[in-house]
Amino acid sequence: MSTEAIPVRAAPPVTDEVPRISQGMLAMLLFIGSEVMLFAALFAAYFFARFNIADNVWPPVDPATGEPFELPILMTAVNTAFLVFSSFTVWWAEHRLMHGDRRGMIRGLWVTIMLGATFLIIQINEYAHLSFSPQDQAFGSTFYVLTGAHGLHVFVGLSLLTVMLIRAYRGDFSPSFATPLTAASAYWHFVDVVWVLLFILVYLL
Amino acid sequence: MSSHAPAHAAHGHDAHSPSVPLSYWWKRVGWMTPAFFAAGLVIVWFVRAVFGMDPLWNAEVYYTVATLLAGFGFLTGIGCFDWWLKYAMGRKVDFHDHSFHGATSWKAYFRVNTDHKVIGTQYVVLTFIFFIFGGLFAEAIRAELAEPGQQFVNGEQYNGLFSTHAVIMIFLFVIPMFAGLANYVLPIMIGAKDMAFPRLNALSFWMLVPGGVMILASPFVGYFSAGWTQYAPLAIQGGTGVTLFQIGVQFAGFSSIFTAINFLVTIATMRAPGMTVWRMPLLVWANATTSALVVFGTPFVAASQFMNLFDRVMGTNFFDATQGGDVIAYQHIFWFYSHPAVYIMMIPGFGIISEVLATFSRKPVFGYRALAMATVAIAVLGFGVWAHHMFTSGMADWLRVPMMITTVIIAVPTGIKVFSWLGTIWRGKLHLKTPMLYALGFLFTFTIGGLSGVFLGTVPITIATTDTYFIVAHIHYVFVGGSAFTIFAGIYYWFPKMTGRMYNERLGAWQFWLFFIGFNATMYPMHWLGLQGMPRRVADYDERFAEVNLVISVASILMVISTLLFIYNMVNSWIRGPKAPWNPWRGRSLEWLVSSPPSIFNFETDPLVVGGPYQYGIEGARHAVVYAPTEVGGELTEAEKRTILVVAHETLASQQLVDAIRRKAAEEHYWRFTIAVPAADRDKRAAERRLQTVLAVLAEDGIDASGQVYDLGPVEAATKAASEETIQGAIVATYSKDSSRWLKQDVVDRMRKSLRSDLTQIVVTPGEVVEAFDAKGVQHVVVIGRDGLSSQGLMAELERRADQGPLRVTVLAAAGIEGPAWTDEANALREDVGERAGETLGLLLLAGIPAEGEVIDRDAPAAARVAAESYSPDLILVASARGESAIENAVEAVRENAGIVEVEHFIVDAEAPAAPMGS
Repeated sequence: MSTEAIPVRAAPPVTDEVPRISQGMLAMLLFIGSEVMLFAALFAAYFFARFNIADNVWPPVDPATGEPFELPILMTAVNTAFLVFSSFTVWWAEHRLMHGDRRGMIRGLWVTIMLGATFLIIQINEYAHLSFSPQDQAFGSTFYVLTGAHGLHVFVGLSLLTVMLIRAYRGDFSPSFATPLTAASAYWHFVDVVWVLLFILVYLL
Repeated sequence: MSSHAPAHAAHGHDAHSPSVPLSYWWKRVGWMTPAFFAAGLVIVWFVRAVFGMDPLWNAEVYYTVATLLAGFGFLTGIGCFDWWLKYAMGRKVDFHDHSFHGATSWKAYFRVNTDHKVIGTQYVVLTFIFFIFGGLFAEAIRAELAEPGQQFVNGEQYNGLFSTHAVIMIFLFVIPMFAGLANYVLPIMIGAKDMAFPRLNALSFWMLVPGGVMILASPFVGYFSAGWTQYAPLAIQGGTGVTLFQIGVQFAGFSSIFTAINFLVTIATMRAPGMTVWRMPLLVWANATTSALVVFGTPFVAASQFMNLFDRVMGTNFFDATQGGDVIAYQHIFWFYSHPAVYIMMIPGFGIISEVLATFSRKPVFGYRALAMATVAIAVLGFGVWAHHMFTSGMADWLRVPMMITTVIIAVPTGIKVFSWLGTIWRGKLHLKTPMLYALGFLFTFTIGGLSGVFLGTVPITIATTDTYFIVAHIHYVFVGGSAFTIFAGIYYWFPKMTGRMYNERLGAWQFWLFFIGFNATMYPMHWLGLQGMPRRVADYDERFAEVNLVISVASILMVISTLLFIYNMVNSWIRGPKAPWNPWRGRSLEWLVSSPPSIFNFETDPLVVGGPYQYGIEGARHAVVYAPTEVGGELTEAEKRTILVVAHETLASQQLVDAIRRKAAEEHYWRFTIAVPAADRDKRAAERRLQTVLAVLAEDGIDASGQVYDLGPVEAATKAASEETIQGAIVATYSKDSSRWLKQDVVDRMRKSLRSDLTQIVVTPGEVVEAFDAKGVQHVVVIGRDGLSSQGLMAELERRADQGPLRVTVLAAAGIEGPAWTDEANALREDVGERAGETLGLLLLAGIPAEGEVIDRDAPAAARVAAESYSPDLILVASARGESAIENAVEAVRENAGIVEVEHFIVDAEAPAAPMGS
């Protein structure tokens, strides 16, 4: 009945546009964007306390000892190196997969998980030996909540990587299909980048 | 998470319900929720014991962790995580697992379902339940405020009432309701089979349940009294109610974020071929924009509530000024999200309004690109205005003026939108259906709210009116007059699509007017109260405000009545409303090109989008072509699918009915008509003749129609015809009340009940003009005669001819008056002949042959001249009784006068008068 110049076709039209990015990866990038904003909010609280109230007298003085609060910069620097290094190893794992080397990928994942777990253990150890608690002024609160939120993200990243390791053993990934792995690794890079920022802003400056 | 290319080719998408019964999941919920709660208690006890924290029992800490885990327990129990857990444990999983997809019974709505349509419906129903609770809280507030002094609640409880009211309406009603409506229609609008991540979508919905329950339960374990904004330091002094709210809102927040990511990925990767961004309906634009706001804004409210929670429960010092914290910091962080949240609560509504206004104005949206870009502009600017909520908070002074300027600038894109909408309805052909009423109401009330927003954006006015009822009036004009109106518009608009039933239009209009009047009468006086200085968030007030407050409280009851009416209309229509056609509003976007409700994967194959979505009134314009599999017959031109049932017997061959069908057919090119002629105990041949005549007429107009004579009563015949194909509506033609046998037997009402579809009744007056049948396919016979008329022989002859092909007859009774026409003899003769002609017409109509006639004073040749000149017949039949010489002798003269028209002479035996057949 219609007289429009539209060809009457019985077959479905072929989708001619293949998206440049997989759905999973796009979702992960958006989620990371969301996480960035979460840290932005926590950093905002930190900046308010440090620059607006304490006027950059930082770390503030501990009323109990009369000395400024102290942070273990050296140990954390080493720990930072572990985490940064793990970003390279997870990249390497992906890289091995792209060359069809499944065992290399599994090895890379193992090393990454080990490094991440090391970071987390050192961090918990640091908590146990710090001279101040979350209840010690805004300084303690922001420090613990920032590093704690990050630690939680490291834990989530480790969980994701562990699942990827399990799936890698099952032989899920191939050079043509590795979206879950690349998404998990993107998340891991994000966790890493946040830590570098956090280390610079909270520990060093 | 699926990462395959979006275009699922039509690979056997057969959904099968999971074999486990509904009770399995809810039993799991029943034990897992308390188990997780207990686990939370144990974990906290363990950690506190190990680290030697003192005291070991700190109720708030235990509750916080335990309620958080209980929420996860619920989600695990209902089965949201089953697939992912299997994946994580290395088990074999199917990325395209459809076992939880679609609904075949009500039970599918009470378990995890991955069908975006089911999820959309779940959202709408659940959030509407939350809306009812929110409304109850509002009415409790109005009850307390009906007169000055303290009546029902104390100050603490009053604070809890308005806080809970706001939290429910914002986090549990407006935001998720928009998510739900978009969940239903957005994938269809862009031509997708589902959302990008159906399992994540299900998780988003189910997160609302524990979140909602926690927020609803919070007043019972200690009111939180700091308002929905939870300003420190007051919020930090709250109790367990605050904890429940703060954990609950995290669930709601995560739900929003996941839905937003889902929408963005769906819109980015799953649009049908040809669906470029500039062909997307504005609802899709609106939701893409909102989703971006949610993804980048909501983490701020999450963080603010976490820090607030830690301050209260753990004793941290984020907002404690005595310990180096910054009180104002809370407000900055909170409003950095919560101002964009205003747009999260408004922009999807803008999308709905754009759809509704265009459809019901029958006009392309005015300034489509301007509307789309204004939406984006509002979202971008929305991140730069948060501090206008804090002009009086004691924040840095230098922030005031920049924030005032950015705030007022937002009026520009908003103004673009309002003027574009006005441009859309300008000179449109407005159809005032309920969604349109709400859309027009929205334009009115939202503009008021927007203008008071410009007032409040300026520093001096804010300082003067802060914390007064002027603010209350403003936000309600924006959120009720804005968001809630658009939600009602959206629900009415898509109700036929979602349920497959039509709602009751008259009740809908009543509901609108009650709500509109009730709303304005409630909220408008608050402007005045505010300017007079009545403070908000206080349970008591000055005597001088008593009358106005009483009026407000009474007026608010109108909204309650209206909401009850809405619930009745929705529930009743859902159960027993008439079946909805595919496209009751004649919309253009893709959701209207699929059935109501859509099939399990919306489209059998990918639709092809070929034009913009709002090209109303543009000749030949199309938005999309929807294909069907080859078995069904290639392109799904809607003509094959959308049938109107026509039921009529004697009334079938009438001008009114044919005109009604023509009008209907002119509405959209895809209506087709099935004509059911019930002929139990009636002349079936006559029925068949009528049917053939009407079909011939309709065929000539290019109207697709077919029909059948049934040996059944009217209701039975209609039901039978409706059972043979899906019908989208029905037309039944009857005589007027006085002469209709059908109406005496209540046929129309019974038919309406039985068909459950939109039924139009046409009243036909008998013996009317038959111009309608002036068609090539219908042979036009002029019968000229006098004594030979109304004889059995002539009737038999005409019936024989009618059986060969559609026929209509004009009877010209030649009186043969000689001499003056005013004499008594002439009058008697005329009457006698007229009676005979009338009898003939009656017999012909009964025989199913459309007929009209007139009396010619002169003789047969004169009648032939009249016939040739005014009737342009195909055949002149001269009927003479045997031995009727006046006619017989005139046949030659008739031939002469008839010109090119063929003339036949038919002689009847006049002895036996004809009797109508079948009687």
